[in-house]
Amino acid sequence: MSDLPLFPMQEIGSLMKPRWQLLGQRGEPLDARALDELEIWEKRLPLADGPMAATVKALRAGRPREAGAEAVRDLGALFALRFFESVGLHRVYDGEARRIEMYEHAIRQMRGFQFQGHVRSFDNKYYLKAAGTGEIRLERPYHLEEFDFVQRHARATPKIPITGAYTLADWSYNEYYLSRTTGWKNRATRRSAQREFVVEIARQALRPTIAALVAAGARVIQIDEPAAGTHPDEADLVVEGFNAATDGIDAEFSMHICYSDYRDLYPALLEAKRCRQWAWEFANRDFEDRDGYAILNLLNEYGDPREVGLGVLDVHRDEIESPELVADRIRRTVRILGDPRRLWINPDCGLRTRSLDVAYAKLEAMAKGAQQVREEYEPSRR
Amino acid sequence: MQLHTGLASVFPRSEALVAATRDFDRGRTSAEALEELYARTETEVIALEERLGFDARTAGYLRWQDLFRPLAETWDGFTVGPVTRWFQTNTFFRRPVLHTPPERRPGELAARLPKPLTGPGVAAAKVLLPGPYTFTGLLDNRSGEPDSALIHRIGRLLAEEVKELRGKGYRTFQFQEPLLVDRPPEGVAAESVLAAYQSIAHQLSGGTSIVWTYHGDAAPVAPLLARLAVGVVGVDLAETEVAKLPMALEHKGIGLGVVDPRTTLVEDAGEVARIVRAVRDRLHPSSVWLSHGAPIDLLPWEPATRKLHVLPAARQLLEGPDGGGR
Repeated sequence: MSDLPLFPMQEIGSLMKPRWQLLGQRGEPLDARALDELEIWEKRLPLADGPMAATVKALRAGRPREAGAEAVRDLGALFALRFFESVGLHRVYDGEARRIEMYEHAIRQMRGFQFQGHVRSFDNKYYLKAAGTGEIRLERPYHLEEFDFVQRHARATPKIPITGAYTLADWSYNEYYLSRTTGWKNRATRRSAQREFVVEIARQALRPTIAALVAAGARVIQIDEPAAGTHPDEADLVVEGFNAATDGIDAEFSMHICYSDYRDLYPALLEAKRCRQWAWEFANRDFEDRDGYAILNLLNEYGDPREVGLGVLDVHRDEIESPELVADRIRRTVRILGDPRRLWINPDCGLRTRSLDVAYAKLEAMAKGAQQVREEYEPSRR
Repeated sequence: MQLHTGLASVFPRSEALVAATRDFDRGRTSAEALEELYARTETEVIALEERLGFDARTAGYLRWQDLFRPLAETWDGFTVGPVTRWFQTNTFFRRPVLHTPPERRPGELAARLPKPLTGPGVAAAKVLLPGPYTFTGLLDNRSGEPDSALIHRIGRLLAEEVKELRGKGYRTFQFQEPLLVDRPPEGVAAESVLAAYQSIAHQLSGGTSIVWTYHGDAAPVAPLLARLAVGVVGVDLAETEVAKLPMALEHKGIGLGVVDPRTTLVEDAGEVARIVRAVRDRLHPSSVWLSHGAPIDLLPWEPATRKLHVLPAARQLLEGPDGGGR
């Protein structure tokens, strides 16, 4: 971190796909809304003069098929990179421009799973859920093509998000490992089978993928574990999965967890030895009483010296945080943790649920807020 | 020992219904087309219940967006709030927000029951409702009334619903109470739970009431469950050890969640029969109700259907010539 300023900034993952990308990769001509969107963002983040000039031209002309779906996806990835870079983020990725979502894409790269159908998440929202029905094997390491693109085009440091083994297991049915147990499948039996499931996903699929990404040049990797807090008594499995997936790999790892009671995860998280940073959501819980960041006292209680990726933007609300609020959140955290060099500044989670306009305005506020506090701690950078 | 089998929760939506509800939200299909598919799918669930020899019919409660919505939308005092995690699962519900003491609007809940359960379907129907403790504990209570008093108030309102539905011929009422085992009530709250079920019992007039618990170990709270004025207490055997169920439950009707919707692995009928015999030998229940423990809509339609076949298979083993043996 030596050449970085205090309070460097990063993104956490997904970004809403622009309408021109969604229509363009389906080969549909852009409607007026998509054309407006392209034009407006082109003024802020010039793409037409770059390596994708021909793709932009084809989209503008209403002939996305001329460019092809892959080129439109490339343009979407480049757009996300420039989106983040133009705000001044120090670590960036492609907004997951090529991924459907964080579960299905990963599972489809593995053998040993069968999709079972849709489960309702809530109301009329559903997700496709697979069962582990055999030994887990990796078809081929994934995310390599998208990383290659990011590496070739990013001006800031790439940070690749990868769904963690625990979350992949928790969002699947465990059929195979449970079937190898005998007798009634009580809580203890299920837990032991789940441990096998998590560790096998980590060893057989995650670790080879991460190793391939590192061999391709990845240095900063974020393991996403949104399911970490679902079962408080399985916090040790989250850690086992993380340790198995990163075993012997030399890279800078962080773990993203959100919408969980972090207290439930300690002391288990202390054993995630190769994890350098916790990238957690806080702004979502920072209400009028302003105690959303007090949970960070946990790290002091447990003597956990790691960096913190501090969520300062609530990704579930359109309201734009003021730079002053962001700055205040950073100051509060410094007062808790003591050392300002432990902090990275980021949104709570991926911004895909916000419009591009809202996401950008939020990131701008984040950058301004971080700059305010930076000037207080490093007046020379003013 | 009377043996019953049946569904104990909302049933998963079929893949066709998943697609249609999504299309409806995106303006790609009409309300009429969606309604027609709902009706057809309800008929399919009833047919499945008949094929599996289930004693009661539910038609799947496919239109219910979550357990609380029918009450939160038909009782005064509520708005429907934020998406909230449903216990330790990757599914969610919209948390009801209570602004003023709740009041029911007669006839409106009855209108939300699946249509195949009306008319001649009434006698065999099972009415699913949130239990007063779980409903109170999971809503956002801004009414100013303490939760302990609200439990009883909601119990009295549920009792009025039961009275109205009994008048229409419904006989079997199941109250979903996962919170009873996840976060057992103590002191005044526990007394309020007892009073709430007493109110409901007064309106049952010969009907059957079932309290169904899941997502937690029922053994520690079994003494309270035994005191509830209900005919049947259901426990989730994926979470509860039979050997630890206290004798306080002896001679009561008992529901056994023997199908675990947390996995697609199909239970073994012989193993299910063995565990039912263990309960029978330990607690001598007046009746046994076999079902799934946690809500079956944690599974998609096809694996849910596949897994439920274990219930008639186990029943056959238990009622066959050697059913009483081991």
